[in-house]
Amino acid sequence: MLTIENLHAQVDGKAILNGIDLDVKAGEVHAIMGPNGSGKSTLSSVIAGNEDYEVTQGKLLLKGNDLAELDAEERAHLGIFLSFQYPVEIPGVTVTNFIKTAINANRKAQGLEEMPASDLLKKIREKAKLLEIDSKFLSRSLNEGFSGGEKKRNEIFQMAMLEPALSILDETDSGLDIDALKIVANGVNKLKGKHNAVVVITHYQRLLDYIVPDFVHVLFDGKIVKSGTKELAHELEKKGYDWIKELA
Amino acid sequence: MEFKEKLISSYLAFEEDMDLSDSVHDTRAEALKVFEEKGFPTKRDEAWKYTSLDSLIREDYALFPKSEASIELKDVKKYFLYDTDTYKVIFIDGVYSPFLSNTTHDGLDVCLMSAALTKPKYRDLINTYFNKIAPGDDSLTALNTSYAKEGAYVYIPKNSVAEKPIEIIHFSSGNEEALWLQPRNLVVVDKNSQVQIIERHQSLTEHPVVTNSVTEIYVHQEAFVDYYKLQNDLPTASLIDNTYITQEKKSHASVHTFALGGKLIRNNLRFYHKGEHILSTLKGVTILEGKQHVDHSTLVHHSQPNCESHQDYKGIFSERSEGVFNGQILVDKIAQKTNAFQQNNNVLLDDKATVNSKPQLEIFADDVKCSHGCTIGQMDEEALFYLRTRGIPKKEAKALMTYAFANNVLESVQLPSLKKRINGQIARKLGVNLGFEL
Amino acid sequence: MAYTEEELKKELETKEYEYGFYTDIESDTFPVGLNEDVIRKISEKKEEPEWMTQWRLEAYENFKEMTEPEWANVNYKKPDLQAISYYSAPKTKPKYESLDEVDPELLNTFDKLGISLEEQKKLAGVAVDIVIDSVSVATTFKETLAEKGIVFCSISEAIQKHPELVKKYIGTVIPPKDNYYAALNSAVFTDGSFCYIPKGVRCPMELSTYFRINQAGTGQFERTLVIADESSYVSYLEGCTAPSRDENQLHAAVVELIAMDDAEIKYSTVQNWYPGDKDGKGGVFNFVTKRGLCHTRSKISWTQVETGSAVTWKYPSCILKGDHSIGEFYSIAVTNNYQQADTGTKMVHLGKNTRSTIISKGISAGKSQNSYRGLVQVGARAKNARNFSQCDSLLMGNDCGAHTFPYIEAKSNSAQIEHEATTSKIGEDQIFYCNQRGIDTEKAIALIVNGFSKEVLNKLPMEFAVEAQKLLEISLEGSVG
Repeated sequence: MLTIENLHAQVDGKAILNGIDLDVKAGEVHAIMGPNGSGKSTLSSVIAGNEDYEVTQGKLLLKGNDLAELDAEERAHLGIFLSFQYPVEIPGVTVTNFIKTAINANRKAQGLEEMPASDLLKKIREKAKLLEIDSKFLSRSLNEGFSGGEKKRNEIFQMAMLEPALSILDETDSGLDIDALKIVANGVNKLKGKHNAVVVITHYQRLLDYIVPDFVHVLFDGKIVKSGTKELAHELEKKGYDWIKELA
Repeated sequence: MEFKEKLISSYLAFEEDMDLSDSVHDTRAEALKVFEEKGFPTKRDEAWKYTSLDSLIREDYALFPKSEASIELKDVKKYFLYDTDTYKVIFIDGVYSPFLSNTTHDGLDVCLMSAALTKPKYRDLINTYFNKIAPGDDSLTALNTSYAKEGAYVYIPKNSVAEKPIEIIHFSSGNEEALWLQPRNLVVVDKNSQVQIIERHQSLTEHPVVTNSVTEIYVHQEAFVDYYKLQNDLPTASLIDNTYITQEKKSHASVHTFALGGKLIRNNLRFYHKGEHILSTLKGVTILEGKQHVDHSTLVHHSQPNCESHQDYKGIFSERSEGVFNGQILVDKIAQKTNAFQQNNNVLLDDKATVNSKPQLEIFADDVKCSHGCTIGQMDEEALFYLRTRGIPKKEAKALMTYAFANNVLESVQLPSLKKRINGQIARKLGVNLGFEL
Repeated sequence: MAYTEEELKKELETKEYEYGFYTDIESDTFPVGLNEDVIRKISEKKEEPEWMTQWRLEAYENFKEMTEPEWANVNYKKPDLQAISYYSAPKTKPKYESLDEVDPELLNTFDKLGISLEEQKKLAGVAVDIVIDSVSVATTFKETLAEKGIVFCSISEAIQKHPELVKKYIGTVIPPKDNYYAALNSAVFTDGSFCYIPKGVRCPMELSTYFRINQAGTGQFERTLVIADESSYVSYLEGCTAPSRDENQLHAAVVELIAMDDAEIKYSTVQNWYPGDKDGKGGVFNFVTKRGLCHTRSKISWTQVETGSAVTWKYPSCILKGDHSIGEFYSIAVTNNYQQADTGTKMVHLGKNTRSTIISKGISAGKSQNSYRGLVQVGARAKNARNFSQCDSLLMGNDCGAHTFPYIEAKSNSAQIEHEATTSKIGEDQIFYCNQRGIDTEKAIALIVNGFSKEVLNKLPMEFAVEAQKLLEISLEGSVG
């Protein structure tokens, strides 16, 4: 699904990623953990194609397609979805209108007709139910005045609607109380399947109790310094990140 | 004879005492031409849409006081911020009063414009700054320039902090039946220096007086000027205050204007930017009654990137008083990352009171954050009622709410004794004694 | 590849001569110039009663005394009023014989806007045969309206058939000497619409389709008079989303609305006159005076989407004379390339408990200048007047300007006025967020702009709103690199 080879990236001339290798296969859940400033969010931005970040070396492949020359929307059309750590507000654009625009843009890229309104509404209702989203919420302006939890739930709702091949959840647990966390995790788990993959980026182990990873990687100073199974997450929870720093 | 004609024809008399070969006098003569051509502004001028000078200039005024008035310290002491040790530059009917003043040349210059304009040792500074900040095409400023002779001159050298605030006070004694004053002040604050200045115009008896004042302030990089204008004159006194401020990079200039008394007050306050990371603060509280008229006309011209400005004017108007706010934010194309904000909130207490507000944004750069807000309303009756249910009498409750309304301007006053003074004046105006400070 | 406004403008620029964009003036046209004789002749041609002729002449007398207004941030070469012909026969030769001759790309744009075939013909200047469809539509309309006692016709027809109504109301809201262009219009207007809704009647349809069909080809000095009698209601749509190719450089329309007690008038405009080419050459000067008079408990709503014209100068206003009357102004003004728009409203509160709302959204792109200029005035007798104003500007690119000039005048201590204005640009982060969801940048900008304008778009009648939305998109295409 996703192959990253020796990825180096910088922002404003400052190197943030210093040689990342990662292989995510369809059907897998990977967790990327690490202390603040280790490059976790940079990694997700680079995969999604944020032009503020410059890839200086290495390769990014999705389903064998080289992402290097692709714009953010083209990557999205290939099936990359990023759940933003800080979802952006777009005043006046309702959640429904936004998702409709996004779905039809993706369908157009795939050479499909626009989704009929009735199908779209049906799908919206279904996914909103899955994430316990009130229908009133769908007619509000995108992320404007949303609570932290609402924003994150809205991200996962969009993920459910777009059915991406690769979902990257960037600190989706931050700002969520335990009930919201469960709803979000439940949503993600229901969407998980043989043909898609999930990369969970998180600082804490908490979310991983609900979205159980197949692999856990520890990022430090722009490199993966340790990989393991979900036990690694527990170990980090117990010992903190200091011992990792010594590894590096 | 029309007053404008008098101003022009009296110029020969003024010139008698001047050194006509001096380049400063060329500047004066040029300025007189501008005034002669433009005359007094009228309501047809967009900038004077809501304020008319007609009633003022219909009268006749003495331009040069006949005799020197003598004033006892005890009579004017109450107008000083006496709990603070301050430098003082005091004028009576436009004439310097050495007896009441406390000037200095010790490390900084707090002295007279007349000295600065004539003595060779100030020549370089005068050539650099005098009439350089003020625009040449404003008729009232030109009028002041043409008669520029006396006022306060302040120079703070590099890397120094004026330890005491400077008080600039212009008294008018009433010796003349009616008096037209034109003080000219220059303040230069060099790199990384700081100064606090309080300016006040005060009549000692009820007599017609019009002051057309020009103050130029040059704030060098990383310097800070904290300027307070206290306008609480008698109902026979009018003031046209023209203040022009040029700021260099990383400097901060702040002007607070408290317009509490006087017949007609017009404040032309203009900020110009000459570097990045500049902060400009303009705040005002206006509380009027009777037939008083106050017009705040502001401009912050953002001509450099990464600068910030804040304007916050509060007005409370009762009886037949009139308030005008004419605020302008101008952002040039190159002034990216500008943050410019403007607030004007007004309360109308009586039926015949008027507010005209014209907050303007003119923006030619895209990556900016600019906003303005203006409200006109009444005291919150519900809050007033709430206070009264707690046993606070109506008058006091109103006063309390007035304070609350004006508070975010008051709270940024850096001089405690000044803050106390203004609080007292507001309380007196509202006819209450709150017994505590906010 | 989408066909952009930019390209359309290019087409207009280059095809101008090829396709002969001039009105083929028939012999029945006055020579250029403006004087008393010309005005008498206009009146004569239109077989107007003497009072109308006198009214025009009086307006002309006023006009001669006036000078053209000048505003900040609006620069243009003043039109030469003596170089205009003030009367040309309404019938002009069609430019084309059939739609097949019209540039297919232009037709494509019409299709994108969802404009009907018949309208396309009108707009492109194709000869319209006796079109069964539109005639029958018009007839059905007329019958329905007549049943209700609604008068809806051209102003010329109204002067002939309903002189008492015209005489009573014309110039009462906008006196001929109101301003320079209103005076000019009063002297020389040759066309426009008249509408009268009788007491208690709710006009059963948006006065739009019919209007639009009849609209194309109206003159440059249009005069509109809408009277809603007591307790009546009418929704009136003016203009067209299609790019109108009009060779008249100066448009100086006057629109007067009168809402009697308890009446409501909703007046919606979409203005898309030719804005000039990408270098600012050509384009329409649109100097319009629009004003409504509100009697007791009545309501007038102005909604406008302004995307066209090289220079727009327009302030639809409400005189809230009656107690409890309501005035509303909802506006979107988009400027691109070298366009200049100076638009806003005046809300004059005279009656007690009057309320007004102003929502203005300005979007500037290219090298354009976009100003909001508005007045909220509360008179001494207007107890408990309320106003809320919100003026937001969106800047796209660094060569344009967005300006706000609100005038707020309060003489009543019971007035409550709130004005807010903001200026911002489209955030890079907003665009990236949309991109990440698979939405390309052009579409993302359209989405964000639509969101920004939503409060106003929502006020348009449904059929207009969809077109207006598309129009915003087209107007801004290619404006951000």
